Amino acid sequence: MHSHASLALALGVMAVSGYAVIAAWFWPWKAALFPLAIGIPLFVLSAAEAAWVLFGKAERSEVQDFQLTRDVAEREVVRRSATTAAWIVGFFAAIVLFGFPVAVPFFVFLYLKQQADEGWIFSTVFTAAVWAFFYGLFDRLLHLPFPAGWAFTWIS
Amino acid sequence: MIEALGEGLFLVLHWKPLAFMMLGVALGFWVGLLPGLGGATTLALMLPFIYAMQPVEAFAFLLGMHAVVATTGDITSVLFGVPGEAASAATILDGHAMAKKGEAGRALGAALASSLVGAIVGAFALAIAIPIVRPLVLTFGSPELFMLAIVGIAFIASLSAPGVRGMVRGFLSGGLGLLCATVGQDPQAGIARYTFDSLYLWGGLDLVPVLVGIFAIPEIIDLAIRRTSIAGKLPAGRVSKGALEGVKDTFRHFWLTIRCSLIGTFIGIMPGMGGAVAQWMAYGHATQSARTAEERKGFGAGDVRGVLGPGAANNSKEGGSLIPTVAFGVPGSTAMAILLGGFFLLGLVPGPDMLTKHLPITFSMVWTIVIANVVTVIACFLFLDHLARVTTIRGTVLIPVILVLIFIGSYTSNNHYGDILLTLVFGAVGYLMVVAGWPRAPFVLGLVLGKIAENYLYISVARYDAAWLTRPVVLVLIAITLAVIFWPLVQRRRKAAHA
Repeated sequence: MHSHASLALALGVMAVSGYAVIAAWFWPWKAALFPLAIGIPLFVLSAAEAAWVLFGKAERSEVQDFQLTRDVAEREVVRRSATTAAWIVGFFAAIVLFGFPVAVPFFVFLYLKQQADEGWIFSTVFTAAVWAFFYGLFDRLLHLPFPAGWAFTWIS
Repeated sequence: MIEALGEGLFLVLHWKPLAFMMLGVALGFWVGLLPGLGGATTLALMLPFIYAMQPVEAFAFLLGMHAVVATTGDITSVLFGVPGEAASAATILDGHAMAKKGEAGRALGAALASSLVGAIVGAFALAIAIPIVRPLVLTFGSPELFMLAIVGIAFIASLSAPGVRGMVRGFLSGGLGLLCATVGQDPQAGIARYTFDSLYLWGGLDLVPVLVGIFAIPEIIDLAIRRTSIAGKLPAGRVSKGALEGVKDTFRHFWLTIRCSLIGTFIGIMPGMGGAVAQWMAYGHATQSARTAEERKGFGAGDVRGVLGPGAANNSKEGGSLIPTVAFGVPGSTAMAILLGGFFLLGLVPGPDMLTKHLPITFSMVWTIVIANVVTVIACFLFLDHLARVTTIRGTVLIPVILVLIFIGSYTSNNHYGDILLTLVFGAVGYLMVVAGWPRAPFVLGLVLGKIAENYLYISVARYDAAWLTRPVVLVLIAITLAVIFWPLVQRRRKAAHA
């Protein structure tokens, strides 16, 4: 899986740096100096990495960084990753549509019930606790402005 | 200097910074214990909350939190054989072996006491390094500062993954960070670069949503993949039993603890090496310190020296890695790169100002490391038995809470939904990087240093043309950059020739 991801990243970086160089080519030198100085070597390096993945050995470099778990079967990893990504995107959509004050308890409760298989009492009490923390800290104490959400704006 | 040292202490002891430090210590405490949460991730998550703080309060909060993560990370390593932090992995070898032999208390006592000694040595190194590096930093102009940024990225890119392949990926990651830093209105010509007619992007990519996405999202996904309770079953019996014996061990092997602390400090100073390297080098040194083969056999099977070495090194590295971060703006680790972001959020520029105008703030960091660790070690000894239970929190319960924090954290950067979108985009990039084995630290460094590096490069070229490349210090720094890039290749070739 890591070589597919590396290829995707390398191609992505190639596209981004290629676009960055072409766009910078038409700017005054003051604005173009740094993007060109970075973009050109970046394009060459990403092309090298892509070629390496396609034609070289599929060796895995042991990076000094956080490592994903390797105890779960690859198919299951893909499935669970996709599910989590869907929850994350869903939470974002809920925030945009209904605003933080509604989306936060809605998401926490739904996640606990559906994904974590928690009981009704635990889910309700835990959601209430998270909601109290969110409301107390960010709304009452820090007075952060949270917009109402697009759905409410449309209705009103 | 002494005056500034005292002033630094008074700054930290004011009620507000002290309260923020305690809050940070409390957070770092739990983060260190929970294997699913990384110290760097939490640092990134907490960055949005420092906007309204004074610099001393913000550093007391962030450093207080970060300084104790490795200390409590050792507890999880010893009790469950699961590293609370990447920097606590080496403690497992002998610490967990001791726990299995019924000596968990002794191992924890040794880990906590050596952590405290290590933190004090690291903070002391930071304090004495300030007068030494100050004259050096004050002679640096724009060309030298630009080259220092390049040296930093070269270091972190070449050392964060081994081999030629790893180095290429490191430079790709760093280059991508530098390129991302060019998004927004160009300060010299006023051109809107890569903004796609979006007003949100005119100000550039905000550090907080990017860092939160790139660090927190992959860990959340991993936590969801594992679907486990964080650390499994708690060992039977009271773990605090025998902790005093572990403290005594620290003093029985005091010079080993000091030597390992110095190793940690030195590795902390080297940009890109990180705590993961420090603990293993210290462990290696502890093993070498055994005089006979018989003595050496005990390592890995529960020798207390195998706990003392990594315990001291992974805490002393914090003071060490603050030296290049504060003095040159070259972070010694991923966490320091994020902390560097904190400097800019607070309107502080690392470098000469931190060693002159803001010297008391710099010294307040020294005191924060010391006080935070003393408080943590005392708290650990008091609540050792209760603490161990925390690691049984189910991952599925943690995920929604962390996601709420992630989204609120990134949204509050500019109060714009674009911030959350940015977090999601860079979360996907971060996840791909982790899967592909691309190091994320060079990306962060590139993003953080990009704007100042561009500024220094522009001033250098505008003022000296190409002549800036012939300045003596610049030449030395170019030589260091080339050495950093080519030395691992030479070493690899040598090894291959020997084999």
